[in-house]
Amino acid sequence: MMEKVLQLTDVSKSYGSVKALKDVSLTIPKGSVFGILGPNGSGKTTLMSIVLDVLGADSGTYQWFNLPHSANARKRIGSLLETPNFYHYLSAVDNLKITSAISGRGTDADIDAVLEIVKLTERKKSKFSTYSLGMKQRLAIAAALLGNPEVLLLDEPTNGLDPVGILEIRELIKRLANEGITIIIASHLLDEVEKICTHVAILKRGTLLTSGPVDEVLSNEDIVEIGSADLSSLKECLSGMENVLSIKEDNNRLQVHFPAGTANMEAVNQFCFNKGITLNLLLNKKKSLETKFFELTND
Amino acid sequence: MGALLKIEWLKIKKYPAFWWMLAIVMLTYPSINYMFYNVYQQVTQGKEMTNNIAKMLLGNPFAFPETFHTVAYFSSFFVILPGILVIMLITNEYNYRTHKQNIIDGWSRKDFMAGKLIDVAIISFVVMTVFMFVAMAFGVYTDPDNLGRIAEQLHYIPMFYLQTFAQLSIAFLLGYLVKKAFIALGIFVFYYLVVENILVAYLKYKKIPITRFLPIEVSDNILVAPAFTGNFGKDSKDAYLLSISLVNEQVILTILYTVIIWLICFKVHSKRDLN
Repeated sequence: MMEKVLQLTDVSKSYGSVKALKDVSLTIPKGSVFGILGPNGSGKTTLMSIVLDVLGADSGTYQWFNLPHSANARKRIGSLLETPNFYHYLSAVDNLKITSAISGRGTDADIDAVLEIVKLTERKKSKFSTYSLGMKQRLAIAAALLGNPEVLLLDEPTNGLDPVGILEIRELIKRLANEGITIIIASHLLDEVEKICTHVAILKRGTLLTSGPVDEVLSNEDIVEIGSADLSSLKECLSGMENVLSIKEDNNRLQVHFPAGTANMEAVNQFCFNKGITLNLLLNKKKSLETKFFELTND
Repeated sequence: MGALLKIEWLKIKKYPAFWWMLAIVMLTYPSINYMFYNVYQQVTQGKEMTNNIAKMLLGNPFAFPETFHTVAYFSSFFVILPGILVIMLITNEYNYRTHKQNIIDGWSRKDFMAGKLIDVAIISFVVMTVFMFVAMAFGVYTDPDNLGRIAEQLHYIPMFYLQTFAQLSIAFLLGYLVKKAFIALGIFVFYYLVVENILVAYLKYKKIPITRFLPIEVSDNILVAPAFTGNFGKDSKDAYLLSISLVNEQVILTILYTVIIWLICFKVHSKRDLN
């Protein structure tokens, strides 16, 4: 059986009359890089805040590591929630000493090591209040990484970083994922998630629209892109083909949708050829996360 | 407990306001007491009859063992100084959003509140230590011959601690519930200096004997005015004796009030969304 790191069951949360989360159930498998996607205000941060006990759920339950939630479970999770939260009058090192003392993760040597990873070594003795936005964000990432937690929970980790910083964090996440650390990452940057995630969940106005392995979520339909000299007769011909769900015309080519796993390129080619149509384009097109995202979240 | 203390000390020891508060307290306590000592000297040092009467009535309130009582009484006027620090320490957590981060990093809600309780205990302890040294310094300086009686009124040290801790707990409660430093400070100072004093005067004028139950008065009455204030006729003697007789009751009430304050803080924090 798949080992679970986090399990949410029917979690709901309201702020006054606004329903921020509606009966969200979700399973995050061990070793996955789990992207939580959603437009602004969809409930991503609320969801993360609840599983970190910053907010209380109105109903529903959640379990970390198959255990009832507790402070001890949180010690095993390196988290960055919303903004970098540190004591302004303390240096990076002193702030991380507090993180380390509370979480029980990491030694003084580990503190130096994570500061090196996020490239803050030179400024490690400067007060937090003197840092730029990007440096604050990097310190928050360092705090999450401190002492090699089993799980990383990162809410918009690349906020405030420059393009080089974003790339570095992406590489870092990939490397950590390869080491077997479970990474839960909330983001509205879709290409970022698509590049690194193995699993994805999509939220919209507090409702979980879909979740699962990226491949499954993205390809609940197969799409074959085809073209020929005469598009209208091609369209007419294909509508008679078995398994075709829909045909869309786009940019002088047709997108033919089949149920997942049923599109057969050879069969399509043969079918058209038999009807006297020769193709000048035949592409097996996977749906991009962006397309899927807009499809799901648009009204 | 040891771990919480260590973490709170990490937060406090590099906080400039802590050292400022300590410096100001170390300056204020000797100063205010020296001022009163100066007045005492002036009215008792002359050779005239009135001076001798004054000396007879006042005794030496700054000699052992009375110094612990006298210095505690005058020093306790300045609880606002550590009060500001206590309010800053909790509102900073909101301001820096570290009240969330501490939980995210692995503290329980109870750990966080216990840490704050420790803060108030540490600050009360520091202030009490300053008071203790000032009281002993006055005792030694004003009448070294009485050194043998040093132990007679040492109970004023824990009583001073209790009063400070109780009043700082009120400051903490305000900071905790209001969340904004300046508003909490404003309410604390305004209530401490103005509202309760007006209430006390009004209730005493109306002869409604409930002033000793008011939030600050309840612990203020642990440290009653120094003994010499009872030497100015029958009324003052009666008043002094009455207040002395009520001290035990005030101690119990103060502990009760303070326990209730902290129970509220722990209870609210166990449920509250951390925004």
